Amino acid sequence: MNVTELAAKAGLKVFNAATDREIRGVYISDMVSDIIGVGEGLLLITLQTHKNLIAAANLVDVAGIVFSRGKTPAEDVVALANKAGIPLLGFEGDTWTLAKKLYEIGVR
Amino acid sequence: MQPKSGEACAHRWALVNHRGGFLVVEGCFHCRSRISFFSEEPVPPVDDYREGDHFWSHLGSFQASKFDLRCEPCGAEVKLRDVTALMLCMKCNPECGVYKAGEGPGSRGTWVYAALCANTSHAGGACVSAEGIRALNEYFNQDLHDPSKKIVIVPCRERQSVDTCEGVVLADVGLTDLY
Repeated sequence: MNVTELAAKAGLKVFNAATDREIRGVYISDMVSDIIGVGEGLLLITLQTHKNLIAAANLVDVAGIVFSRGKTPAEDVVALANKAGIPLLGFEGDTWTLAKKLYEIGVR
Repeated sequence: MQPKSGEACAHRWALVNHRGGFLVVEGCFHCRSRISFFSEEPVPPVDDYREGDHFWSHLGSFQASKFDLRCEPCGAEVKLRDVTALMLCMKCNPECGVYKAGEGPGSRGTWVYAALCANTSHAGGACVSAEGIRALNEYFNQDLHDPSKKIVIVPCRERQSVDTCEGVVLADVGLTDLY
């Protein structure tokens, strides 16, 4: 499933228009130091909206980032994600609810 | 596939020995040098201490991680003991060597990260090993989705000034801002 398709199916808020690509899996983490070890093409779910997160996500080449619990990234964070072509999405509910929703719509 | 005997391996790196800890930064108020180290203690040290002519004071601690790289086909392992963290160049200074590493023909889509060593001031001249830099470059480029994207890792001695650098260190700052 691609990021755009996921955003529509899960009713996610879209913060930017970035590169649409296939999601190869999901990783949930709120620590930049933890993200460094993940593989390419994953959808990252996090509470973190700091710029370091984008720097790490770009390095490991994620497919997109979803901020749960209604977190909104600052303008400079969105600008860096735009430059990196990383889609930024938002979900109002908590991370567990989002995880269940993703599983139900076929992101596994 | 494992290379045949005597054949050079086109390495395929995997991240191994990934461990969490703290990036601790200290400064000498006497000579203004800065050092950093990776602490795997549950609570990172914050005490001031004297070491020769230096008087080291704690400047900050950030959750960070360390890792090594191992080639899956040939089993070669590169220990990244001298890397304390990676930092994304924000292109703040065209005179800086880290900035320059991302310039030139075909540089569109190039992202430069500096591999930070322990001796921020490079008083002793040492920095991250060439072997480590080579392996980091190979690892972070081997699976990129976009063929026009390129990751360039350079040693932090290329950085012109630690005081004015606007680079984004890949460590956990701002975790307390979550809620």
